[in-house]
Amino acid sequence: MRLQFIIIVPFLLLILMAIFLPATSAHAVSKSYKRTVEKYNIPDIALVNQDGKKVRLQSLLTGDSPVVVDFIYGTCTTICPVLSAGFVNLQGKLAVTSQKARLVSITIDPENDTPKVLKEYLKRYHAKPGWDFLTGSRTDIDIVMRAFNAYIPDKMSHYPLNMIRSPKDGSWIRLFGIMSSREFMEEYQSAIVKQ
Amino acid sequence: MKHHYSTVRITFLISVLIVLLFFLTVTSLFAAAPLPQAEIMRLGERMYREGILPSGTPMPAFIRGDIEVDSRSFSCSSCHLRAGLGSFEGGVVTPPTTGNKLYKPYRRPPSLGDKSDQAGRFIYAKTVLERPAYTRESLATAMRFGTDPSGQTFNDVMPRYPLSDHDMYILISYLEELSSKPSPGANSGEFKFATIISDDVNQEDRQTLLMPLEKFIAQKNQQMGMYNDFIKFGYTPTADMQFAFRKASLDIWELRGPPETWKEQLTTYQNNNPVFAVLGGISNLDWRPIHDFCEAERLPCLFPITDFPVVSETGWYTYYFNKGYAQEGEAVASYLNRLETLPIRTTILQIIQDSPVGKTLASGFQNSWNELGRPAVITKTLTTNELRNKATLGKLLKKYKPGVLLLWTDAELLTNLPKLISQLSDPKMVFVSSGYLGNKTSTIVEASRNKVYITFPFRLTPYVGPKTGGFDAKVPILTGSKDFGDRRIASRSTTMLQQATLQGLNLIYDNLQRDHLFDVMSMQMDVVVRDYERLSFGSGQRYVSKGCYIIQLGPGVEPTLLPKSGWVIH
Repeated sequence: MRLQFIIIVPFLLLILMAIFLPATSAHAVSKSYKRTVEKYNIPDIALVNQDGKKVRLQSLLTGDSPVVVDFIYGTCTTICPVLSAGFVNLQGKLAVTSQKARLVSITIDPENDTPKVLKEYLKRYHAKPGWDFLTGSRTDIDIVMRAFNAYIPDKMSHYPLNMIRSPKDGSWIRLFGIMSSREFMEEYQSAIVKQ
Repeated sequence: MKHHYSTVRITFLISVLIVLLFFLTVTSLFAAAPLPQAEIMRLGERMYREGILPSGTPMPAFIRGDIEVDSRSFSCSSCHLRAGLGSFEGGVVTPPTTGNKLYKPYRRPPSLGDKSDQAGRFIYAKTVLERPAYTRESLATAMRFGTDPSGQTFNDVMPRYPLSDHDMYILISYLEELSSKPSPGANSGEFKFATIISDDVNQEDRQTLLMPLEKFIAQKNQQMGMYNDFIKFGYTPTADMQFAFRKASLDIWELRGPPETWKEQLTTYQNNNPVFAVLGGISNLDWRPIHDFCEAERLPCLFPITDFPVVSETGWYTYYFNKGYAQEGEAVASYLNRLETLPIRTTILQIIQDSPVGKTLASGFQNSWNELGRPAVITKTLTTNELRNKATLGKLLKKYKPGVLLLWTDAELLTNLPKLISQLSDPKMVFVSSGYLGNKTSTIVEASRNKVYITFPFRLTPYVGPKTGGFDAKVPILTGSKDFGDRRIASRSTTMLQQATLQGLNLIYDNLQRDHLFDVMSMQMDVVVRDYERLSFGSGQRYVSKGCYIIQLGPGVEPTLLPKSGWVIH
């Protein structure tokens, strides 16, 4: 019995290592989203927020706190609800630790997305203050998309993209893909501590 | 060894218990819910479309692994769409979720989030996912845990729903019925259509509407004949090809007499020969009776020629080009709201001719003005006779001293404009509707033109035709003053047919459900057309042209149109 045990245990260990080690290392390197760090020049233009007020994009997106930006639209079926659920979740998690994030959604369907549509969208997602949804002329929206290297000619061909601005050096963490809330939070925190 | 045997026994017992529990869960799942079928469908539809449980509370759901979402803002129909036949959005392929499709094997094309090969490339053949047919049990597992019958995990965007057996039973029962039968008026070989014409429409407009429609039907049937000839001479079509060739017929639903009787007439037409969709149509009267009929019958009505559409945020079954006169009124509200040079205390006087047009223009302005949170403007509704009386208007202007005059009247008042403007306070702005003034718009006297602002809900910049070519591709068309009063019946009907066929009927294949037609049409990219700067779509969007210019006229008898605003004003 003891001999059998001595023989079997190393084999079991080997099998366990074979099963878990590659999986662990693959998990560590393979994320469900693509991450890069970028520098963007924010255009000095005015957009309109959900209250119908004009806001200067530069002043909204710069400052001492991190800013998270995404491009969505009010009648989007799949990607935008997922991105917005991420925003809601992030707001909730940050509220627990009394942190305030500035979240900015910019429409890619400016013709349909009037301030009224934007406001109803935020209400539907139970957005708290600190999450703004912006619209504007198509020309201005195109300028913003290009500034973030996120230009798409038509809203139907958009993709999931979040960008987090670090207040430390003004760089942007660009996140392409769908993240879990834990991953999103980790990326957000990394923008705060970024040197 | 004894210890070993006892471990095996315990493991065995646990396994048996798990199997029993699973069995009990499954059997209770599908033996439950002693509700009438109609009630199950109602509750299931509410879960599917609104994300609300039979108990009235939101459906619990988790996405991206660990984010709890409110299903009221992210329901099943958000991605799988109303007909349940799926969507393609943001790179994500959402597969069908109807019983017909779920209980058969399925091959899903590549989608965002699929694993790439080692070089980071997506290879089509490798990323086509295949799954076997679901059973009720595996479907419940899929919705709860996000795995299909072959064990493949769903994309993170698909929520996981921890539903009770009772609620799961209701939802699955609904999915089994969803889009299970073709809608009336369509079968594998034929589409039946109608168009609607009310008896106030003159003979010329009627013919202008019917000409492209009848040509379209003739072409469809000609193509069908050609397709049959191919087969007769030995050509073997691909499986999908039959969906591109169907016979088509067009009934003309003539509406006579007062609009209160239209519903009954429409019901008789539909009962006698049910159609799949209404292609266009025309009326000079309020479209509401037809709109309401189509909503009640769940009958698609595609782009009718009307200036009086129903402005609704929940209407589903009519696609309109725009909001008609109401859109012109809205544009003025948005323009004035953004006019930074307008002194805050400026008095705005709204004069409404007591007519359907005048009232619709005014309601478009007022609804929008109220939504913008602006204080009420002074509004006076006058009969045509009162408007012709210069003293009546003079007294009003003297009394209120407005700086801005909204003149929702016909062209009879144009000769009086210089006098009216002289009685205004600064900044002396007059707003009029090109729709109401029609071809008289360009007769506004030159001396007044810099004070008169005109709503114009059509394209200004040159239209150069589709990029792919076409008979009009080489002929840029610039809108001019001659287009005032043009109802654009032929061009808009042609646009309607392009929309209905290229972006709708040709893409629904063998899914002959009316809701699916709308789902497919709502997913299309923006298009540039002859009459509008841009048509844009999206789930639930029903007014595809959102713009309206505020213009002024240049000098001369054929004045240039000078835009004072963008196409869309926020």
